[in-house]
Amino acid sequence: MNRRAFFATATGAAICAPFVASPAHAYEEQVRLRELYNNDMSFTDFALEQEGKRVAIEGFMAPPLKAESQFYVLTNRPMAVCPFCSSEAEWPNDILAVYAKRVVDVIPFNVMIVTRGVLELGTYTDPELGFVSRVRVVDATQERV
Amino acid sequence: MFQRTIVTAMAMTLCASTAIAQDLPQASSEYFTAAQANLEAAIAREPNTNQATNIILFVADGMGVGTNYGIRLFQGQQMGLLGEEHNLVYDLYPNTAIIKTYNINAQTPDSAPTAGAMNTGVKQVFNTINMADTVVHDDCSTESPLRLFSEMLSDAGKSVGVVSTARITHATGAAVYAKTANRNWEDEAPEGCTDIATQLIEQMEAGVIDIALGGGISAFAPEGTELAVGSGGRPDDANLIERAQAAGARFVYDADTLAAADAGAPILGLFSGSHMSYEYDRPETEPSLADLTAAAIEQLEGNGDGEGFYLVVEAGRVDHASHGGNAYRAFTDGVAFAEAVALADEMTDDENTLIIVTADHEHVISFNGYCGRGTPITGLCMGVASGQVEHSGEPALADDGMPYTVVSYTNGAGSVLVEQEDGTYAGSRPEVTQEAAMDPDYLQQALIPMGSETHSGVDVALWAKGPWAHLFGGTMDQEMIFHVMNHAAFGAAE
Repeated sequence: MNRRAFFATATGAAICAPFVASPAHAYEEQVRLRELYNNDMSFTDFALEQEGKRVAIEGFMAPPLKAESQFYVLTNRPMAVCPFCSSEAEWPNDILAVYAKRVVDVIPFNVMIVTRGVLELGTYTDPELGFVSRVRVVDATQERV
Repeated sequence: MFQRTIVTAMAMTLCASTAIAQDLPQASSEYFTAAQANLEAAIAREPNTNQATNIILFVADGMGVGTNYGIRLFQGQQMGLLGEEHNLVYDLYPNTAIIKTYNINAQTPDSAPTAGAMNTGVKQVFNTINMADTVVHDDCSTESPLRLFSEMLSDAGKSVGVVSTARITHATGAAVYAKTANRNWEDEAPEGCTDIATQLIEQMEAGVIDIALGGGISAFAPEGTELAVGSGGRPDDANLIERAQAAGARFVYDADTLAAADAGAPILGLFSGSHMSYEYDRPETEPSLADLTAAAIEQLEGNGDGEGFYLVVEAGRVDHASHGGNAYRAFTDGVAFAEAVALADEMTDDENTLIIVTADHEHVISFNGYCGRGTPITGLCMGVASGQVEHSGEPALADDGMPYTVVSYTNGAGSVLVEQEDGTYAGSRPEVTQEAAMDPDYLQQALIPMGSETHSGVDVALWAKGPWAHLFGGTMDQEMIFHVMNHAAFGAAE
């Protein structure tokens, strides 16, 4: 999925988290986003072990694709939009799609945040947005580190 | 070890000028003897006026003098040295120049016209590639193409290759074969103009380009087409990979298929959907820049005609890492670049191969002081210690009482000024630990808030060896690279 396709398929309707919220656990592993992916973009043992559990993932909120949304993308490093590097159509490989509990208060792209929620693995295409993700955190909350 | 490469090579030639030096109290210093060895090498050096059979132009995108300094210390420290005494393989090349990089209409250049200058001998217009100075950016109707060094060499019977860790249609690589009023027309162009990916295939069909290895497969197949790596992204229905194969090109897409390719051009190698990985993030299935360079040389030499070749090798992501404000990846990709240069150097003969190493432009990277010897170049600035060579182990402190990293960027995503809810920017310098600063994902502190750190107009360096490399010297304009290459290839035979 890329930004171009996202804009093409976004309906403008409010985004609903497509997953059933899981109960919070007393203890959550708090790790950097990079702990979910190996270099070949396969999932790490940590990611596989935490599937379906509540996790806390540190990263950066990419500039939201639309206002008043419950959806955002968490990036490993601040999503610098470089006119000479990548087009608007491109995301890095190592991203995390986040479906928040509530409409998200935007946090600047270069401020580290921690996103807490339930880790979901596997390819999923958002039926409303068309956004294809390989890993998600759902039922999520987020705050500055 | 002290200036390890020079000293070991030249230790036996010290006799002559030490006669002057032996009375000096400093004559036994390692610094002194190393400098004497360098002097002897310089005295003994003779210009190589052979006709260049092969020319290899190495461009590390965004690696100005400052960035190169960081790469040098980074590699030296990886080798267990303090770092400052280290030399990258090309730091020791006998011929150097300072290169001015501005574009016709830009004090701060971009990578398209700068690479174009190297390939045509004239400065060009910002964001355009290989067009006359009358071109208007993004205006297809104003295109007025120039003739390329690759085309001249191809007509003379030489093979031509282009290698990049960026998309092969990105600015630096594109300047070897393409001509466009907009560098971003990589997979589509207005009616009457031709997109860059299509131009690459046309140049392969014309026999100008024999080897093209890099990223950016999405520009070579229609959107949605499933490919060996990634998927197509072209808005039209052209499958350029199939078109290249129909013209006789072999297609490779990972380290194994590259290694298995029989010698002899042409080859189209596309190893990722967009840019290839940063060296730090590179999976084993993806070839390194050294792998690509070696394969290109083997293929170009193996075409059997003996006429020689022109190869352009770009480390495209040194630039991208700095744009992202991340010095660690800029330096690791710089080390990968140096390794590619070293391998090419080993595979070729100085007698007939001109090797040029340079950059297209610098970034707004800066290096803070005053740090002691051996301060980790991606870490906190450690103080100078009296009575010892190595740094004190205690971070130097700014007036705010906090430590700071050696590297910082003047602008970019690492800005300490952060957007507030009311749209204004405010902030202060956060305290940084050594562990945080040394993390590969750390963004060095910057001042001016910008989504992408910018290029700088500051000069870059050039290092060269081989036929006519001695023509480089002093401060030169970037287009001189073409003129020296042209003389080495053609002028020497006249």
